[in-house]
Amino acid sequence: MNAREKEQYLREYHVLKGQGKPFFPYAVAKDSMMAVFVLFVIILMAALFGAELGPKADPTTTTYTPRPEWYFFFLFELLRVVKPPELVFLATIGIPTFCLVLLLLLPFIDRNPERHPLKRPIATLTGIAVILAMGYLTIEGALAGAPTEIELSTQPQYEAGRSVAASSGCLGCHRIGHNGNAGPGPELTEIGERLRAPAIRRTLLNPTAPMPSYRGLSEKNPQQFDELVQYLATLR
Amino acid sequence: MRLLPGPLRRKNGNDKADGNGTDGNGRNGGNGNPDIPGALLVSRERDEAIVNGENGQGAKEQKALQRERIKEAATEVPATAIGWVDERTGLGPFARGFMFRKTPKGTNWFYTLGSASMFAFLSQAVTGVFLAMYYRPSADEAYTSIQHINNEVFAGELVRGMHRWGATVMVVLVFLHMGRTFFFGAYKYPRELNWIIGVVLVLLTLMMALTGYLLPFDQRSFWATVVAVNINASGPVIGPYLADFLRGGAEFGATTISRFYALHMLLVPGLIAALIGAHLYLVAKLGTTAPPWLKAEKKRDLAKEEI
Amino acid sequence: MPGAFEGETVTRRGLMTGGALAAGGIASAAFALPALGFALGPIFNNEEVNDEWQDVGAESDFNEQTYVAKVGTLVTNVGESGKTTVYIRKATPEDRSPSDKKGAKIMPYVAISTRCAHLGCPVRYVQASEKFICPCHGGVYGKDGSVDGGPPVRPLDRFYTKAERGRVYIGKRFSLNSKLERFPHPRDPSNHLDGLWEYLYPGRPST
Repeated sequence: MNAREKEQYLREYHVLKGQGKPFFPYAVAKDSMMAVFVLFVIILMAALFGAELGPKADPTTTTYTPRPEWYFFFLFELLRVVKPPELVFLATIGIPTFCLVLLLLLPFIDRNPERHPLKRPIATLTGIAVILAMGYLTIEGALAGAPTEIELSTQPQYEAGRSVAASSGCLGCHRIGHNGNAGPGPELTEIGERLRAPAIRRTLLNPTAPMPSYRGLSEKNPQQFDELVQYLATLR
Repeated sequence: MRLLPGPLRRKNGNDKADGNGTDGNGRNGGNGNPDIPGALLVSRERDEAIVNGENGQGAKEQKALQRERIKEAATEVPATAIGWVDERTGLGPFARGFMFRKTPKGTNWFYTLGSASMFAFLSQAVTGVFLAMYYRPSADEAYTSIQHINNEVFAGELVRGMHRWGATVMVVLVFLHMGRTFFFGAYKYPRELNWIIGVVLVLLTLMMALTGYLLPFDQRSFWATVVAVNINASGPVIGPYLADFLRGGAEFGATTISRFYALHMLLVPGLIAALIGAHLYLVAKLGTTAPPWLKAEKKRDLAKEEI
Repeated sequence: MPGAFEGETVTRRGLMTGGALAAGGIASAAFALPALGFALGPIFNNEEVNDEWQDVGAESDFNEQTYVAKVGTLVTNVGESGKTTVYIRKATPEDRSPSDKKGAKIMPYVAISTRCAHLGCPVRYVQASEKFICPCHGGVYGKDGSVDGGPPVRPLDRFYTKAERGRVYIGKRFSLNSKLERFPHPRDPSNHLDGLWEYLYPGRPST
């Protein structure tokens, strides 16, 4: 903004301010009502949902699935999405710090004197895009489940197979539903459509590296191995 | 109009009693007695004339006048008290400037988000103080002290719930306020500094959430903090040292909870309070923006001046 | 300078100003430096880490095929919060590390830490697929702790082990790079150790 634009803004602002109402009591009334509403919401949520306290901190656990609070889900999902190890420090501190610096220096980056959202399309579109991205990452983060549970509806006769699949480490490399990891193996949510049971059995016994072979399971516990194959064949 | 005590009286208000050319403080310039605001003096003389029936007023006017005199008498004590403070501190102009500043035309409910965020912070501060009276910041006792708050302390679960959900509400309000400021273009000239202070406040709010999160010391707290500290450790060269500083050593140890407690209770709230003060000062000084879809109707001579 | 004597270089005003600044600086330093030292102290001492050998079981508890979980103590003065789970397996000749000198004996047991090398979440060993799986961000490790997939930046840390009189002991934790070379100063999770990365994440006095 050059000096002329600044002066013009100040003049317009002076006019609009003169046409306004005093802070006390008009704005104070609105602020007070909003404050009462906020307090009401806080008390309502506290009364309805209470303050949960999980089990005591246990550093020796091997079954717990750590998750942050919901307002950090977007960062959490960013860490899940960036898989190459060389890029880890980008996801942890690179991208968030960069975005923070952009946010901090926003008044110096955006020098357009226009204020109306429709007259500053770049700013408005960027703002909406950032909000949508953060919202999407937050939702995805909320849905990301533990790698030892499969959360898909299953018919009762395949429940045994589902629990074998969940505890055999498949979710370490495959996605089934919302749980599991998106690599290095392909998504298995609809594997039953692509492969029939005999083909699934063959892959489990003789996989391509780095997938481990489940021949050991088929020899030690053939019933569980069968249940696993049957369950995977139903995933459509 | 006479209900307002002297120092808080509006400078250019509609005070009909200010017939004698009072100055900004409602005092009559040529008043023999400086303690009594000139406006009150003048009106009292007039009222006495009316009450005594000197001007031929009827019973109805007399009753209305008596009501007004009672109101005056009732506000005289606080008026004198405020006058006493104002004389010794000089806060009158400041309070007047803050309370009676004009907000521009078109100020709507979106503008309440800022003060709502501050209110959420105050709620957190108050509930936090009460929780701090029962919480024990040590690795062995933290969890049991929280259980004690939940189960045995009167209204303990409610206060703890308010603190926990208040955190969510505060984060939501702060982000909504930031979004409103962004979309209204209220970060542009002359409010750039205010925006920067605001972004630092967002960051401090998230830091409060992070440090406070560890204090109940349940599974979720512990592992979320381990990951958060290791995120700091991922920075090249200085990252691991920063992580050591936060943890109080190479491993999660005896002093980690104490550190987070000191940060959560003392350092960060102090910074937030100071920055909120600066933020409010700038808001009062520069004024809030008008909604961007409002255009000032320029007077014709003003437009000519611009060309 | 007007009014100055022959050879005078500092005015009275200059001296007083400088003196006031110096005194103020000394006063500030007197209370700020100890406070800073107090806050930064833990970066420079390593008393907290437990460096004694811990007994984790009899030799007969462990085997060469699979991992057995045992609990060890990382930090001694915090009770339960200082413990950690260690997966232990009897070593085979394939577990020789490039850091082992030729002809030297290899460590008798492989003791793998459950601290994920990505951001520190607790990994679990899944017997059926013989992999270590991290529940947080998708890290997967193979049977020897090296990275099979996901964001972890180096293999899982291990503990020094020894066997004496039929009992197995674990010692301090150490880190490894992708070639399974040993780094006696353990690094934090997310710290790479391959190639030039090891200079960006050097060993610290606190470990």
